[in-house]
Amino acid sequence: MSSLLPRIILCLDVKDGRVVKGTNFVNLRDMGDPVELAIEYEKQGADELVFLDISASNEKRPTALKLVTDIASHLSIPFTVGGGLKKLDDVKAFLDAGADKVALNTTAVLDPDIIDQTAKAYGSQCVVVAIDVNQEDEGLNYYINGGRKRVEGDFFNWTQQVAQRGAGEILLTAMHRDGTGLGFDTELTRKVSESVPVQVIASGGAKTEQHFLTAFEGGADACLAAGMFHSGDYQVDQVKQFLQDQGLKVRL
Amino acid sequence: MTKKLLIIDTLAGNLFSLQAAAQRLGFEVDICQSPNDIIYDALVIPGQGRFASVVNQLKKQGWDSYLKNAHEHGLPMLGICVGMQIFFEASDEDPEVTGFAWFKGKAKALDFPKKPMVGWAELDSRDSIFAGKIVYFVNSFAVDQADESVATTEYGQNFCAAVKRGAFYGVQFHPEKSSQAGLQMMANILLPENQGELKSEENNHV
Repeated sequence: MSSLLPRIILCLDVKDGRVVKGTNFVNLRDMGDPVELAIEYEKQGADELVFLDISASNEKRPTALKLVTDIASHLSIPFTVGGGLKKLDDVKAFLDAGADKVALNTTAVLDPDIIDQTAKAYGSQCVVVAIDVNQEDEGLNYYINGGRKRVEGDFFNWTQQVAQRGAGEILLTAMHRDGTGLGFDTELTRKVSESVPVQVIASGGAKTEQHFLTAFEGGADACLAAGMFHSGDYQVDQVKQFLQDQGLKVRL
Repeated sequence: MTKKLLIIDTLAGNLFSLQAAAQRLGFEVDICQSPNDIIYDALVIPGQGRFASVVNQLKKQGWDSYLKNAHEHGLPMLGICVGMQIFFEASDEDPEVTGFAWFKGKAKALDFPKKPMVGWAELDSRDSIFAGKIVYFVNSFAVDQADESVATTEYGQNFCAAVKRGAFYGVQFHPEKSSQAGLQMMANILLPENQGELKSEENNHV
């Protein structure tokens, strides 16, 4: 028995100190100040936030670290940073700056020891391994470099390996659902969630409140979304109220 | 008069969230690695690091007698996560190290397939500070049973989510990461004479 409640996690893409929105990294649109948006989403009832690409380039590292400390000082919910963390030193710098967790994707694939090292130095709760997986004709394949490079290897083996190495959570993005508005890949989330000894965050495809209900009922421990909230189509508390009305207990 | 809060730095991680939460409650915050002679209005033992390293660091700096003395004088105190567990006898995390043993019992590995426990859970409590509140947990270990437990929750098993003796509170969750509910709890525990009234101007954005 677990009394953990389903979590709704908001994802914010950060570029040059601003939150941006765009489709496949083109037509980036300025959404506003990360700290202000973070506070707004906490108010709306987001359970956690993820800031992506906040650290993408090395030369802007000091500014990015300052931003992370700024977020930590204004937010009273947990937040994760990810994107561009290449070495253990990067990971340490961002955790020391105030991030609760780091999300590792490409780096984890290229140098899996970084999962073990981060877990050992800071604890598994600080390590989220993000996996971008795509449903293709020949089966499930996973990708690095922002979905551009396919990894030679078995997807389910990789999910097992990251858990064994000490990841505290897996952020599972279904690339074949991303941006489609068709909802989370619930079947895939369930399969992974049932087979690994860590929590699984479903990501990719959310457009309506029903998608969250389906994913949570299907075994997701948490759901991550961006567009439907950034667009203003939904407020987080609206989705949570819907879940509550459907009999799912959430933090309201 | 501005109230002064002491946060003990156990060298186990950043304290930005905790410091910010305390400042939002109106506290002037000192973060100290070793005891000093300043009179504080309240004290927090943060929730980062391993059981052994936190116990050893506190003992090395002489905090054990300081904390005992402060507690006897009724100083409002809050131990968070591992900062709560160290006041028990031991932990499975580091069995060779003895805790401060203010409370009987020990922290044991949570018996649940998915670890660590990460996320929000509702507290089962009859204490108005905790009853029905939803707070953020991040832990692989927890005290399964404590005589002075005032709140519990469940993850594979029922465990002690909060313990209280006099003005000392230990909590297994992270109030500094638990949004408004957590801030209100910190106010109730650390500012008992204000009956936990939050300063509205500092707090209006959360």
